[in-house]
Amino acid sequence: MKNKIILFWVIVAIVIASLFVIWKKPTSLGLDLVGGSRLMLEAQTSEAVTKITPEVMDSLQYAIENRVNAMGVGETVVQKVGEDRLLIEIPNITDTNKAKTFLGETAELEFKEPAGTDANGEQIWKSTGLSGKDLKKSSVATSQTGEWIVSLEFNMDGAKKFGNLTRRLVGQQMAIFFNGKLYSAPRINEEITGGNAQITGGGNNGFEYKQAKEMVDLLNAGALPIGAEIIEENSIGPTLGADSIQKSKFAGLIGLSLVMVFMILYYRLPGIIACVALCIYSVIVFAIFKLIPVTLTLAGIAGFILSIGMAVDANILIFERTKEELKAGRSLFTAINSGFDRAFTSIFDSNMTTIITCVILYVLGTSIVKGFALTLAIGVLVSMFSAITVTKNFMHLMFGTGELKHPALFGLKQSDIQNAFSATETRKEKAKFGVLD
Amino acid sequence: MANPNLMNQKQIIDVVKFRWLWLSISAILLIPCIAAIIYLMATQANHAPVKLGIDFTGGTILQYAVKGDVTVDNIGKIRDDMTSAGFTTPIVQNINNAGVDNAAKNGIKNIISVKTGFIDDKTGETVNKITEIVASSVNSPELVQTTSVGPSLGSELLKNSIVALLLAFLGIVVYISLRFKADYAIITLLSLVHDALFVIGVFAIMSIFFNVYVDALFITAVLTVVGFSVHDTIVVFDRVRENSRFLAKKYTFNEIVNASVNQTLARSLNTSITTLLTLGALYFFGGSTTKEFIFAMILGIAVGTYSSIFFASVLLAWDKEIRDKKAAKKATV
Repeated sequence: MKNKIILFWVIVAIVIASLFVIWKKPTSLGLDLVGGSRLMLEAQTSEAVTKITPEVMDSLQYAIENRVNAMGVGETVVQKVGEDRLLIEIPNITDTNKAKTFLGETAELEFKEPAGTDANGEQIWKSTGLSGKDLKKSSVATSQTGEWIVSLEFNMDGAKKFGNLTRRLVGQQMAIFFNGKLYSAPRINEEITGGNAQITGGGNNGFEYKQAKEMVDLLNAGALPIGAEIIEENSIGPTLGADSIQKSKFAGLIGLSLVMVFMILYYRLPGIIACVALCIYSVIVFAIFKLIPVTLTLAGIAGFILSIGMAVDANILIFERTKEELKAGRSLFTAINSGFDRAFTSIFDSNMTTIITCVILYVLGTSIVKGFALTLAIGVLVSMFSAITVTKNFMHLMFGTGELKHPALFGLKQSDIQNAFSATETRKEKAKFGVLD
Repeated sequence: MANPNLMNQKQIIDVVKFRWLWLSISAILLIPCIAAIIYLMATQANHAPVKLGIDFTGGTILQYAVKGDVTVDNIGKIRDDMTSAGFTTPIVQNINNAGVDNAAKNGIKNIISVKTGFIDDKTGETVNKITEIVASSVNSPELVQTTSVGPSLGSELLKNSIVALLLAFLGIVVYISLRFKADYAIITLLSLVHDALFVIGVFAIMSIFFNVYVDALFITAVLTVVGFSVHDTIVVFDRVRENSRFLAKKYTFNEIVNASVNQTLARSLNTSITTLLTLGALYFFGGSTTKEFIFAMILGIAVGTYSSIFFASVLLAWDKEIRDKKAAKKATV
């Protein structure tokens, strides 16, 4: 009994911790619930780039990230999917055309020279004719003094242009523009021939590594004009998203209430315990969703609600079995215990098959299906815990070790209960594996 | 120890005696489904058992929310205008979304869905053109949802889905063979094929008569149904396994199967009822996007319960009977 009381407080602690997580952490909602755009891009090979390498994808990702962020719409996601795809998620944007503008053209790198100042004293730059098309590749390197530098390698044509340009601009600044924005304007110290160039950070401190790496990605992105096609697009207006989340909440609550009413009517007192266990179950699952965090989509919510069905099933299996044991004439305590032990093989085997299905769906499915599989799997795993631990613990604490004085509490009649039969109890360890005496 | 008073309990269902009745009901359920599936596989260019939506074939769906009324003529005009604007076979539908709560909250009365081939433009010109066409027929439509899938991605999804389905089948069979016996696994496989066929078949029938197209979620629904079906079957089989371990000397296998089915009957029904309650709530009050997905699951759960009681158990008893007969024959020879 002492163990049971300790377990009870452990459960209480878990619930409090879960509630705390739910209260503190924000729910991450999918685009279909908040509204937004989701685009899948596929990198296209061209004559210049015949193979999509991870480096090319890095550059593409970086280039696109920059452009998406430039839109200033908050939490955007740009992530690689597979070998040649990028997934872009932009929340809270209704105008899909706006979302697509960053694909309109590929990265444009330009080298510019000073051309006097304007009326406000601002530097004016003019084009030199040297651009990202002339670049072969760029990389991060260190100078002899140990500073991070960006090393550039021009192609044949670019090397010639760069040589001429630097000869002309010794002692002046040369600006590097990316899509019309000035990124850096290093001073040219001497004529540079041979098609290699370095960009040092200027000033006394030089570049930080991150800065140099950013520039390299940028330059490579500009230097590799790789095309990307939209192969999937999903945009949902915020009104529709808000409508869906409202409806899902409402439907979930109705469903849960109906189930609870049914459980209480059919199973009486154990039904009430199951309802409490179900609430605890929901709280724990929801806390786990927030911890991982799982992005809730419509399909994900469907998976969660379905897992409630499975959690209820575990309780039903146990109660049915307990009732049977009671009918057979066992004492209350042993009936509850053997009800749990015997229902366990069914619960375990059936949930394992669901988990197998979920794993396969998660590995092979698209993002919608993945969300569903993940929430269902988490739900099923937690449901095993809640049925075996929470329900059992509450049953024991509620009924103690005494006799069943009021069979009506279980929805049984006195006449249902047969005489006790002399039987040796199955040991718990054996019963778990379906082996019975 | 199993209940020794096994046979004293009320036997509500006899799965052995009325074997042919139960199997006939399965046949009556499945024959129209199989017919519809074969019909679609034979007539459709892509040989799919259901009409595949843009998730699988590639294409673009634009959905416009309209606050005013939309008549059949409006829809017809949009369709005609689009055809004359050069869109080949556009599908224009009014998804009646007039839920009471919905209408009160943001005033959306109707949602017009326009489906075309894959729109591949980065400037949004084509979409603007369609929006203009829709706006010329109904008052101030608002573009609330755009879904566009490239054709290559669609066929990839289809391939992945079929692989997922087969792998799930295999995984389940292997698991049950390990935990039970090979013949239990094969019967479970048969009964899950039974359920999957029914769900796919009903959607095939709906495809033919109501022009329903399935999306990526449908695969999820079928797989969940498969999971549930096995779930149900395992509960019954688990009881058969337990009873036959203990009572095999006292009773025949047929009696044990019958008793096991009846012992688990309350559980099977109650679980189905509670699951159907939640699914029903989702169907009637949930969002319109998941409606078909939920409908597929409702069908699947219902038929899964039937198959675990009246199909899997019947086969299990029958299979044992045939084996015993064969064994007896061998023994006499």
